[in-house]
Amino acid sequence: MNAELALWGVLSAPVLQAALVIAFARPPGLRDVIHIGFSLFAAGCAFYLVGAVAKGEEARIVLAGPLPNVDLAFSVEPLGALMTAALTGLASLHAVHAAGVVRAKQEKAPARLLAFIALTMAGVTAIAFSANLFSFFVAYQALSLAAFPLVAHRGDEEARPAARAFLWTLLASSIGLFLPAMIWTYAIAGALDFQPGGVLVGRVDVVTANVLLVLYVLGLAMAAIPPMHRWLPASSNAPFPALVAVQALAVLPAGGIGVLKIAAYVFGPVMREASIAATGLIVLAGVGMCVAALIALSKRDIRERLAYSCVAQSLAVVMGALLALPAGLFAAALQVVALACAAATLLMAAGTTAAITGRTGTVDYAGLGRVMPWTFAGFAVASASMIGMPPFAGAWAKLWLITAAAGSGLIWAAALAAVAAMLTFAHLGPLAANALAARAPTDAFKRPDGASILLAAPVVLSAAATLSLLVLADPLAAFLSPMWTP
Amino acid sequence: MNGVDLELARAHAPLFAVTIPLVGAALVLIAGSARLSWVVATVAALIAATVTADFAYRLLNHARPAVAELSIPLQVDGVGSFGAALVTGLSALAIVAVGAFLKDAGSRAAPFRLALLLCITAGWSGALLARDLAGVAVSVEVAWLAGVAVVTFHGARDRAALNGALRMLTLGGVASALTLLGVGLIGRAAGDLRLATLPIAHISMPGVASAGIAFVIVGLAVKATAAPVHAWAAAALGRGGAVAGLWVGAIGVVGALLVMTRLSAYAVAAPELGAGVSATLAVLGGASVVIGSVQAVGARTLPRLATYACISQAGCVLVAIALGSPAGFAAALVQLLALAAAALAMFGGAAVGRIRDLAMLDGFWQRAPLASVAITAGTLSLMGAPMTLGFLGRWRLIEAGVGVGWWWAPLLVIIASLAGVFYGGRLIERIYFRRANRTFEGEASPWRFAVAPSLICAILTIALGLAPAVLLRWSDAAAGMLTGAAT
Repeated sequence: MNAELALWGVLSAPVLQAALVIAFARPPGLRDVIHIGFSLFAAGCAFYLVGAVAKGEEARIVLAGPLPNVDLAFSVEPLGALMTAALTGLASLHAVHAAGVVRAKQEKAPARLLAFIALTMAGVTAIAFSANLFSFFVAYQALSLAAFPLVAHRGDEEARPAARAFLWTLLASSIGLFLPAMIWTYAIAGALDFQPGGVLVGRVDVVTANVLLVLYVLGLAMAAIPPMHRWLPASSNAPFPALVAVQALAVLPAGGIGVLKIAAYVFGPVMREASIAATGLIVLAGVGMCVAALIALSKRDIRERLAYSCVAQSLAVVMGALLALPAGLFAAALQVVALACAAATLLMAAGTTAAITGRTGTVDYAGLGRVMPWTFAGFAVASASMIGMPPFAGAWAKLWLITAAAGSGLIWAAALAAVAAMLTFAHLGPLAANALAARAPTDAFKRPDGASILLAAPVVLSAAATLSLLVLADPLAAFLSPMWTP
Repeated sequence: MNGVDLELARAHAPLFAVTIPLVGAALVLIAGSARLSWVVATVAALIAATVTADFAYRLLNHARPAVAELSIPLQVDGVGSFGAALVTGLSALAIVAVGAFLKDAGSRAAPFRLALLLCITAGWSGALLARDLAGVAVSVEVAWLAGVAVVTFHGARDRAALNGALRMLTLGGVASALTLLGVGLIGRAAGDLRLATLPIAHISMPGVASAGIAFVIVGLAVKATAAPVHAWAAAALGRGGAVAGLWVGAIGVVGALLVMTRLSAYAVAAPELGAGVSATLAVLGGASVVIGSVQAVGARTLPRLATYACISQAGCVLVAIALGSPAGFAAALVQLLALAAAALAMFGGAAVGRIRDLAMLDGFWQRAPLASVAITAGTLSLMGAPMTLGFLGRWRLIEAGVGVGWWWAPLLVIIASLAGVFYGGRLIERIYFRRANRTFEGEASPWRFAVAPSLICAILTIALGLAPAVLLRWSDAAAGMLTGAAT
């Protein structure tokens, strides 16, 4: 295998997976084997690409040339390789979990659900490896369209308006804000390629840089920066497997990856010229983090609470990327990985709980850790990571974020990140503690046989993944360094 | 036929583009039975399409094809040949689809309807190849009146179609009067009605000439459904039936826009007329984008939605023409192809499924998967979704607009796309994510083969969005030839 073949593999496997899952919807065993098998294959390709990038290999695929001087192209670079490896690795765990949940909850149209989960993974992979703004935009639109059926999956009167709000927010912001920014960039630079050091370097004045930054960041609604975050709470009524895909593995991480790519490969040093807009957006992100964490505290449904918690965490990515420092970019990249690990674990644990006990209210979680120890151990670890408690992944990301904020003279930004962490502790800490420490409920299980291994093992393994940054932080800094050192 | 005869026939291609549909119309009337007349009409349309496509191919590849000197006032230029090939190609596709709906207005009327359809093709082809403004005006009238008659025929099935036909007749009559008045004023001011001499004509009365060209443009704008002079469109296309949707909504609108493109290219090159033409087209284009988008969002039936979406797209075409640059005309041609393919896919898909109300689209995917694909591709293109022909056209418009400093042009494109997300999202949700309404589950498709032309357009929409190199080369060549000829 070479890097180009692996790139083809990681991009095409989820699409093929979706087609085969639909084609072999019955028997369910075959469907699930295909779903899990292709997820593992995609993860294998992604990890191979990490190794290839570390060795300095390059690969580029051009699918079409739809515009003059602009290709629909995908290329391997450190950020894309790292993000894809993390997300597809988690997606293979989620594939196992989703197979368990659709059986336990007897979800309607399970093949369609699994197929669109696979397509969202194709979308985020394409975003991560996009070689230019146009390819990014195409992949972004495709991801929005692929995620829409997940949010609309239940097809009831509640799901349809939510799905419309989801699609409208994502597409409207990308067309109304991101597209003009892309056109403007093309008009200025005559190219849309992502390149370390930034495509805009030496080509823009201060006003243009500031306006472009605002258009790009707000146009990336997937990053959930207020007021473009509406899609995330709107999606919280989707089935749990869909929630994991939307909030942990595909849509929300795609926003983070997008902001990082824009900051590193479009702006680069020009971020300093866009300091007014960057500061304004950092304020928005910082205040948004605190408010989202506060709103999460008020939510009694676990899906809504986790949705707002994810908004708060995602804004940390935006804050890091906008700090215009290598440390900030590194913090943001770590935060994307940490958020994906923690959010996937929490949502899978909540999905397991809902499938086995039928409970989704946070007040009903008391004592469940005593009857579902593995699941709630994972839940507790992931909560700790979301809060930013060492030695879990979130801690290193937040440490770098606070260091970068302080390093760029924005002490108040570091303070806002710290306040948001405390509020995250308030809405997740007691919940996890109460689940583990309170008296076990006598009527916990809806299903007499409890949680199957398909439902418990992925939670535990993804929780274990949150420890990975303990040993990987330094190698990752070296791995990602080409992002900020052209 | 030997090589010499073939070359002789090819040299007369512009003449054949106009006469073959007319001869076909006469033969159709003689044929008598519905089925036989449809076969004759299909053969005539296919021959016309082949002849014009061959001619356009040779011309746009700079092969300098021989053109016979004729006493008939025809003139060949880039946009004219591109447009004639597009109109006759669309007609050939549409006439295949029409086979499924021939008996909607009674089998005895079928030959008359087919003859009228071929007259529409001949009319728009004639307008695109006419040498002077009088020829353009006469040809447009032939096509328009044939269109009115097509809508009227549907009155036998739905009386509301007569309202549409009456509106077409009334507004079209006013538009024709304006066009003829404009032609007269230009003739008076410039002393010549030939298009090729317009850019270099000594215009003695610039004010009169400007008023004349404005009248001509507004007259054509009525027929191109440009807002705010589009009052006939919803009534005629919304209730005029499948045949009217395909021939007036898709081919008629595209034909009118192509004629506007051609005339504008000659007019903007005239120093006395250029600024006025650009301003008129820009206002019409801006209004069409905004009004068409808003009305599409509020539409309750698929034919109306398709009509308004096409008006919005037509607005983008007008803005591209208004730019007055070769890049602008090339962008207009790409957008016109996108509009034609999308309109045929949407109107054709709707006709095959007998769709009127949007509620009838619920679960349409399960009833008619191919027609659903066609409607979806058309919708995506009208939305300006990436990797479709619609996106390519809008991108070219933006490039051309930014190139001359018209920063508001991208804004209009974004308005059209945002509205597209709204109405397109609604259509796609209904087609794929709703349970089929039991009332419509039993309705069979009229004739499965009728979906083929829509499907071809859908494939074209995606394929040319992915690999547009040839299309871009031809559109650049067509625009370059015209602007070169004009200047």
